[in-house]
Amino acid sequence: MSRDSTTPPEGYDVSRETMLDFKVDQQLLEVVETDARNFILTTVDEVFNWARLSSIWPVTFGLACCAIEMMATSATRYDIDRFGAGAFRATPRQADLMIVSGTVTAKMAKRLKLIYDQMPEPKWVIAMGSCAIGGGPYFKYGYHVVKGVDFMVPVDVYVPGCPPRPEVLLEGLMRLQDKIRGRKGRFVAPKWVQDYAKKIPYRK
Amino acid sequence: MDHKAIFDLLAERIGAGAIAFHEDPIEPWAEIAVGRIAEACLFLRDDPRLAFDQLMCLSGLDWDGYDENGKGKSVAILGYQDDGTPEPGDRTATGDLGVAYHLYSHSLRHKFTLRVRMPRDRNVVPTVSGVWPTASWHEREAWDLVGIRFGGHPDLRRMLLEEDWVGHPLRKDYVMPGSWSGVPLQGQPFSENPFAPAAPAPAGGDTPAEG
Amino acid sequence: MAIEATNGKKGWGDQDQVPGIKSELLELNMGPQHPATHGVLRLLLHTDGEIVYKVTPVLGYLHRCAEKIAEGVDYKQWVVYTDRFDYLAPMTCNHTYVTAVEKLGGIEVPARAEHLRIATAELSRVASHLIALATFGLDMGAWTPLLYCFREREEILNLLERISGGRMLYNYMVPGGVRYDLPRDNWVADVLEFVTMMEKKKLPDYNTLLTYNKIFIERTSDVGIITREDAFAYGCTGPVLRGSGVKWDCRRDDPYSLYHKFDFEIPVGMGEMGTVGDCWDRYIVRVREIEQSCRLIRQALEQLPEGPYQSIELKKPVRVPAGAAFTRTETAKGELGHYIVADGGQKPFRNKVRSCSMCNLQVLEKIGVGLMVSDLVATVGSLDIVLGEIDR
Repeated sequence: MSRDSTTPPEGYDVSRETMLDFKVDQQLLEVVETDARNFILTTVDEVFNWARLSSIWPVTFGLACCAIEMMATSATRYDIDRFGAGAFRATPRQADLMIVSGTVTAKMAKRLKLIYDQMPEPKWVIAMGSCAIGGGPYFKYGYHVVKGVDFMVPVDVYVPGCPPRPEVLLEGLMRLQDKIRGRKGRFVAPKWVQDYAKKIPYRK
Repeated sequence: MDHKAIFDLLAERIGAGAIAFHEDPIEPWAEIAVGRIAEACLFLRDDPRLAFDQLMCLSGLDWDGYDENGKGKSVAILGYQDDGTPEPGDRTATGDLGVAYHLYSHSLRHKFTLRVRMPRDRNVVPTVSGVWPTASWHEREAWDLVGIRFGGHPDLRRMLLEEDWVGHPLRKDYVMPGSWSGVPLQGQPFSENPFAPAAPAPAGGDTPAEG
Repeated sequence: MAIEATNGKKGWGDQDQVPGIKSELLELNMGPQHPATHGVLRLLLHTDGEIVYKVTPVLGYLHRCAEKIAEGVDYKQWVVYTDRFDYLAPMTCNHTYVTAVEKLGGIEVPARAEHLRIATAELSRVASHLIALATFGLDMGAWTPLLYCFREREEILNLLERISGGRMLYNYMVPGGVRYDLPRDNWVADVLEFVTMMEKKKLPDYNTLLTYNKIFIERTSDVGIITREDAFAYGCTGPVLRGSGVKWDCRRDDPYSLYHKFDFEIPVGMGEMGTVGDCWDRYIVRVREIEQSCRLIRQALEQLPEGPYQSIELKKPVRVPAGAAFTRTETAKGELGHYIVADGGQKPFRNKVRSCSMCNLQVLEKIGVGLMVSDLVATVGSLDIVLGEIDR
């Protein structure tokens, strides 16, 4: 039988409430009405996501040139610690973000898959630089280069550049935080970039 | 000591093994018979008048399709096409293979260049890794990328690629691989404009919307 | 476990060191994902307890086919790929390649371009040595020098960005000159100010922080000794060779560009804290080279002549007559060489790259035997390899 919320459940003594002489429920009600900011009303999921996005631990996984920019991002001027992502872990088992920073070669691709599989769920991947996105300058004659890391592992955020500046990596990290928060953000390129992109003759 | 004098000393030692001396204005070089190269290198290192104590570089070369007239009409190498698939190629290369050695003497400060050249099907050169230990990795690289065997090398494995790689990539008739051992190596066709302006910008402009 | 004994020694794992307890050789993989291997280097170690019994470097995790690409793109386009060899000092790699093309093609370079090349290449060398200091300290457990060194490196990157347009990889030099002239703001004054600050203020800072630190000296002196003979036999160049006490620098002894006009010294390892050729010697050579690079930058910019900065128009392709030549120059890691075989066209027929880091790493097979694992980390750090150049 379904229980109506207005009717008290069986065995519940209404008169017992009057026995409480300090009227907790009424006081609570007053507080809620006067100052609603004292309460956090949320779901457990959102709390977990907030915790996850505030302390993303990347795995120390430098591949090529972009790794130096990743180091620069974690060093003095750019200081990735401001976003809670500064604890680079040497082992994938303690990490939840893999920044694929550089060219993925055929020999490395197998190890990359292995490292990705060792990371605990939930885990995210940032493809940093044009090589990791799609082969970059090594597309045409690169017999040993995987043309994009998304052939091997699923990618959450693509950060373009050769190599991307640290600011761009931080932007990518913030987009990833948006994604973890559950928001469907879409990066809108500035107008001058869009105008420039329209002039590029894309192949059909 | 100038290059011609070095070559004369070498020719005195190995006789007909020193095939020819090419007086190139930029970099003179000597052609050595394939079988005598290790002996020549040992002599060049140990003779006090020469004392070549450094092997600067060892290069494997594939002379297939080289334009001898100097007009830049050499055969083009194969790559990946625009749609990501390898360019097909059925040409069988017939040209020679070669190795170039660049030597330097720190004490006497002179340079010398040796080259050997051999037919494609008899691609074995005596190793010089006993003369200069640094040659060991250079020779492994030449075997890996150009496919030149070095007889007597203590550890002739592939260096940069994995052991089960097919072919030697720096040969002129090398066809790009589509995949290797489960790893895809060809690209995907690029058909979509990532900046397609069709979709209107979401409300609120740059800030991400609640979803 | 069957492992071939090297160097004629009996395998240490075969003997019982403590009676009744059988020890065994352990096969240990260091890398390719390891924080102390400076990239994707993989070292296959055979250890007996803490002692390394055999080191086998496994390469190729960053093999990016640069030599194949060289045969497919023309001379000017390939400058981009030389940036990506030694991505810590890209200008020096650019310099090597354009020098090689100019030598083979008989291309004249204006003096102004040479001065700009030397200034930018030396700035790049300082940046690379700063990274070498930082990561070497990091390997030794000192985190703080990294923050200091990256601070100065950002200054250099800003300066190079102002002249070339790129923050980290520049594509600045072209055969026949440089791509851009000086920027219109007071770039020269800023560089000179930075150089002075580096010499007067920053280098003493590093020395106090790391160089003469007691713990650092204990960790690095008498460790990983490369003798003079080993250094020659294995083809070591650059700071590794000079750390072994050999006064040899390609810039002075086999001069290229305009280095013969300038006045600088060659620092060598002297075994101040231990034996000649140990890790500390290689480290101190880099610190002193920063000083000399600063001198070179100052001279190159103070004597900067007026005039053109390109001898070939940017849009015109470079043609190189048929021939072959080997050219080497001194980059931050050692002597980088290009063996270019030209067939008279716009593309090289073959371009073999002599990688200095590869030769420097090769000596590890010899000197790594008998070290503790933690000392091996120190030795690899002191060799200052960069994988983009080893694997190409």
